Amino acid sequence: MEKDKPLWFLLGIVIFFALWWIVSKIIMLPIVPSPFLVLANLAAVFMKYIAIHSLYSLWRIAAGLFLAVLIGLPLGIIMGYFPKWDRFLSPLIYLTYPIPKIALMPILMLLFGIGELSKILMIFLIIVFQVIVATRDSIRSIPKETYYPLYSLGAPFGAVFFEVLWPASMPKFITAIRVAMATAISVLFFTETFGTQYGMGYFIMDAWLRVNYLEMYSGIIVLSLMGLFLFALIDWIEKRLCHWQYK
Amino acid sequence: MIEIQDLTVKYQSQKEIYTALESINLAIPDGGTCAVIGPSGCGKSTLLKVLAGIITVYEGEVRVDGQTINPRQQAIGFIPQNYGLLPWLTVDENIYLGMKIKQHQKTMDYAKLQLIKEQLGIAELGKRYPGEISGGQQQRVSLARAFLLKPDLLLMDEPFSALDAITREEMQDVFLSIWEKYAVSTVLVTHYVEEAIYLGQKIVILSANPGKISRIIENPLFGGRNIRQKPEFFELGLSIRNLIKKDWSK
Repeated sequence: MEKDKPLWFLLGIVIFFALWWIVSKIIMLPIVPSPFLVLANLAAVFMKYIAIHSLYSLWRIAAGLFLAVLIGLPLGIIMGYFPKWDRFLSPLIYLTYPIPKIALMPILMLLFGIGELSKILMIFLIIVFQVIVATRDSIRSIPKETYYPLYSLGAPFGAVFFEVLWPASMPKFITAIRVAMATAISVLFFTETFGTQYGMGYFIMDAWLRVNYLEMYSGIIVLSLMGLFLFALIDWIEKRLCHWQYK
Repeated sequence: MIEIQDLTVKYQSQKEIYTALESINLAIPDGGTCAVIGPSGCGKSTLLKVLAGIITVYEGEVRVDGQTINPRQQAIGFIPQNYGLLPWLTVDENIYLGMKIKQHQKTMDYAKLQLIKEQLGIAELGKRYPGEISGGQQQRVSLARAFLLKPDLLLMDEPFSALDAITREEMQDVFLSIWEKYAVSTVLVTHYVEEAIYLGQKIVILSANPGKISRIIENPLFGGRNIRQKPEFFELGLSIRNLIKKDWSK
């Protein structure tokens, strides 16, 4: 099964393009071009126009993700392990989690400018809550007995952290990242339609405004491939860090 | 020498204070074993948790070689009911966890590790994960971790109760043979009378609500192999059973 994985991906891509091609044949309008034209266009313009935009988008996602992990993971672990912190912080999290982060966009843009920082913070805000809540819950679900051998060894908090809390929270933490990633990419698209000349969001909207549907679809394909790449990367990291889960 | 004097443990539940253990007095000589037997909810596990340093709020005195019990100072091996193996560590890493935390040894001493694994018959399992091995094998890994540490005190919470009858007897023998090599003071909690007789130099019978020692029996049969077939084994078992029945029906 494991060796066949790329084959299954390929099959998925083939089915996707086949469906697209059928739809384009039925509709017969420039707004749904044939996938072959789009692929030809993509091959022609990727290095020239699109690559730089995709790098910008990837950088924003990576930076937002990094910040979210940097803050969310320790916070989630502390809240899960120390009930007092949880009692204090949970209401704050629950109050702010449901706020649609995109609604904060104008405020972020006012406070941090329309440049990189506000875009990265937007992604951070979207991912960080899922990371906090998932990590906290995974720590809470560790049976008390798991700690006993360490307590009876007189283990300091550092040892408890590295031996139990960190590895135990890893699977749910990675799932949280995976779930948040799709949202983050969609929101990234939105934020990149303001105040920048770079990023996949800008490229796709720009192509749309120029009524260049081939380029627009090329951009969408690149965005979706970026997603595929990020998900595959997360899968790979999970295999490395949580291989014990599959035993 | 492990001394317990006037040990009382109370739990604060929602509204009331619940006494789990009341005035426990017990002394276990160095290198001795003590089997604690009692009905569910009599505070057997509480007693172990106090000895393991997991419960730190109690009345009375608990001393190991004259020092108040403290997991940072003494080496305590604790084997919980589910063996306490960490699923994300391999068998080798699990066994070495005690050494790593207690003696700050970063690199494994493979010779020592291999020796203890051979003594416990798990030499081949080093690279496996706990989820990949049987309950009996997990138990052996857990014993290996505890004995590698050469603890001042070994605690076992119903160590063999999750195993099937045949594996259980086999593991009891494995335990006795390695215990003889390392001569570690051991307290084990069980609800099997036979297990208490087979493994306990001293047999402590607890009664419930609150948990109190109702009797301490010096076990004359301890240490003999093949005592399971002897009539004395059955007689002692029967008499303890009768004691318990009288006691627990109160």
